Parts: sequence; structure tokens; C-alpha cells
Amino acid sequence: MLHRRIYQFLIVYATGICILFLIKFALNLSDYVIPSPKEVWITAGQVFIRYLVNVMDTLAVAVIGHILSIFMATLVGIIGRLTSGVGSLIKIAAFNIQAYPIVAVAPIIFILLGDGLASRLLIASMICYFPLLLSVLGVLTEPVSDIEHFYRMTGRLTWQLEVKIRVFENITKLTTVVSGSATLAMVGTIVAEFIAADAGIGYTIRIALYQSDLAKILVALFLIGIWTSLYLVCLEWIGHLIQKKWQR
Amino acid sequence: MLIECHDLNYQYPSSSTQVFQGLSCRISGPGFHALFGPSGVGKTTLAKMIAGLVKGFSGEINVKTKAGILYTYNLERLPGWSVVGEHLKEISPPDKTKYLQNLTESFGIEECLKTRFSRLSLGQQNRTNLTRYLLQDFDLLIMDESLANVDETTRETIILKIKSMFSQKAFLYISHNVVEVAKFCKEILVLRDVRKSPQITAIKGQDHTGEQPPDRRALEQTMLEIVHAS
Repeated sequence: MLHRRIYQFLIVYATGICILFLIKFALNLSDYVIPSPKEVWITAGQVFIRYLVNVMDTLAVAVIGHILSIFMATLVGIIGRLTSGVGSLIKIAAFNIQAYPIVAVAPIIFILLGDGLASRLLIASMICYFPLLLSVLGVLTEPVSDIEHFYRMTGRLTWQLEVKIRVFENITKLTTVVSGSATLAMVGTIVAEFIAADAGIGYTIRIALYQSDLAKILVALFLIGIWTSLYLVCLEWIGHLIQKKWQR
Repeated sequence: MLIECHDLNYQYPSSSTQVFQGLSCRISGPGFHALFGPSGVGKTTLAKMIAGLVKGFSGEINVKTKAGILYTYNLERLPGWSVVGEHLKEISPPDKTKYLQNLTESFGIEECLKTRFSRLSLGQQNRTNLTRYLLQDFDLLIMDESLANVDETTRETIILKIKSMFSQKAFLYISHNVVEVAKFCKEILVLRDVRKSPQITAIKGQDHTGEQPPDRRALEQTMLEIVHAS
């Protein structure tokens, strides 16, 4: 049985395709502007395997970038929970940087690092890092007074225990945020590939765009949607396992 | 154990409301002391000031203790990642584990040990929370409505048990139950509104230990004194 996420994507995708074909037939647009369903089907048969490999390439970069940003956000979040000057500085910096559209910095990254894997990875990480950091900071700086009080009173509250309590109390929120940021990681990678990469599905879409080949773009969008949904399903499953194990 | 509060003045941060004005009181020696008064007069604030949890007041609080002061309140929770029994074992100092079984039996929480804290009733939660504090080192334990949601009979059993088991320790019991404080406490500090003077009055309680039935007339007299003072 298909997961709810896959269903939702298929419904959205099918609706979009139907609207596109309705416009084509209603306005009698040529196949050059909007390809016919048959042409889309034939194109899918021709490029499916190649595009699948490209999507897997993009997904791999997005997953690594996502993991890096989770790791970084946790680390900085733990430091940022301090009430010291460093903690306050991190909080203020995170809030301000988050307000800036990070994707606009992408050209600088490509100039400095070239159009290889490093640039794609960095952009993917940066795009999902700041929203993640804000959520992690929010969770880790918010005291759970009714639990922490005992440990504080008896001198047992180490920073590790404090982090454990706050993470445990907000585990549902954190797993939701991590799942939500996965889409951002995928968006970041594709945007990076649009701009200047030499691999990945974003790069493939850019070439299809130059050729004005909407059929190829539709196939690419289908594969992106399916694999992003599958990644989200995996993350939600892991989150569910963690919650179940901790709260059994 | 001696706590002396002298000329305390305090108002809540970002508020113009004065809570204490020239408040002075003294808590000395082991036993059950009570802090009694209507809601909003500052019982919890005073307790937290004594425990060192509230700063920014003028006046002096002199504390002479060896093992220190602990403050517990009725809304505390235990972490949810382990069952109550595991948690209690984890936080019991090695020399206090012998009290654990005795306390869980007396407090009627034996059946809660294999359950997570969130699954317990409010009364069971309060009893469990109090148990873990009693297993710690302290000279004074401030119990801020720690037995709320516990039925009267069990409350009486618990108070008598604490008094017999920890006769060398001091307790500051915050409660709204006039009968209870009059019956079980050796001294009741009645706290009043800041506009009334004196703001705090000490009344001698019956300090009932359960060995003999309480003197009804004396108890009624104490209750009347408390009501008049508040």
C-alpha cells in the first residue's frame, strides 16, 4: 500500500498534468509549447533510466547536505543554548542570516569553489541549515522547568542532561522540522544545479529548458517528486522509530 | 538549621506591585513548619527566596544549614524516558537506597514503579515527586503544595511518616489546608497581604505525631488563631 506522502504527490502531480493538458486542448496549443500525453509517455520511456540516475545523484547530494546541516545545527544549537555572550551572538546571527535569501549567495560559492560537488553540497546545506538551526535553538534554549528543577536543585543538571531533557520533550517537533528541512535540502541542491553544476537532475532540467522540451521537464519533475516523497517517508519512519523507542 | 529573614522588600520584575515590605521571620530547628496564607500573598515567592531561586530583593536572608535547602512544588515532572522505579534508583544516593522501599510502601506508590510518570494520576505523581526529594541530602525541604491532589487520609499517613522518618530534618510545608497545618506543624507562619502589618505572624501549632489522638480543643484554638491572623 502506498504511503500517504506518495499519494499526496501523485494527486498533486496528476492534477498539474491534467490542468496543463486542459490548457493545451482548450487553447489549441501546439506540441512544441505543451507536448501531447503520447509524446510525454514516449519521452519518459527514452529518458527514464538516465533521469533516474540524475535524480539519485541529486538526492545523494541533498541527503549528505541535509545530514551535515542537521549535525551543524545540533552542534551550534548546543553552543547557542548557553546564556553567555557566545550563545547570544549565535542566536542573533542565526536570526539575521536566516532572514537573508541564502540562494542569492550561490553565485559567489560557484565562483569560489567551481561547479563541482562541493558547491552543490554547500548550497544544499546552507539552504536547510538556518531554518533547522532556528528550530534547534528554539528547542534547546527553552527550559523545561518542571523537569529540570529537580536536577538543578540537587546539582545534577549537566549540559548533556539538559540537552537530553529538552530534545526528549520536543522530539515530535524536532522530527517534524528535520523532515520539513529535507525538502529544503532537495530544493537547495536543485537550485545549485540550475545555476552552475555539471551533474544532477537540476542540470538535466537546465539542458531540457534550453531545448524547450517540456516533456523531459515533466518526467524530471515526476522523478524529483517521487524520490523526495520517498526520502520524507524514510525520515518520518526514522522519527517514528526514535519516538517509539524513547517513549515506549 | 536556622533561617532568618530580615527586612525583606521585594516587587516582581516589570511590575509595580510590592510583594513584601519590611518582612522579617525566622525558621529554626527540625520539624514541620508551615507557610500559610491566601492565594497571591507571596508564599511561593518567599519560599523561592529562601531556597535562593529568587534574587533581586532587598533585606537579608541568613541561612545556616549543612546539607542545604531543597524546594519542590506540585507541578514537577519526572523525565519520560524511563519508568518511575528506574528513575528513583538512578537519583538515590547510595546511602539512601535503604529508604526507597520504605517510602514507596508508605506513600502507596509501589504499583507505580514500573509505570512511566505521565501515566500516573496527579496524586501519584505528587507522591512520586516528593519521594525523590526525600531521598536527597537536605536540612530543609520546602514542600510547595506537594501533596495537592492526594486524599486526606493518605496525606496524613505521608506527613506522619515523614515526621517519624526524618525527625532531624526541617520541612516548610506550604498549604491552604488550615486543619492540616494546625494539626501537624510545630510552627505556622501566616503570611498576609503587603498592606497589612505585620505581614507575617508566627503561630504555634499542635505538632501532632500520631502517637496520641490530637487535643481537639487545642487544635480548634490553633485553627482560630490562624484564621484570625490571615
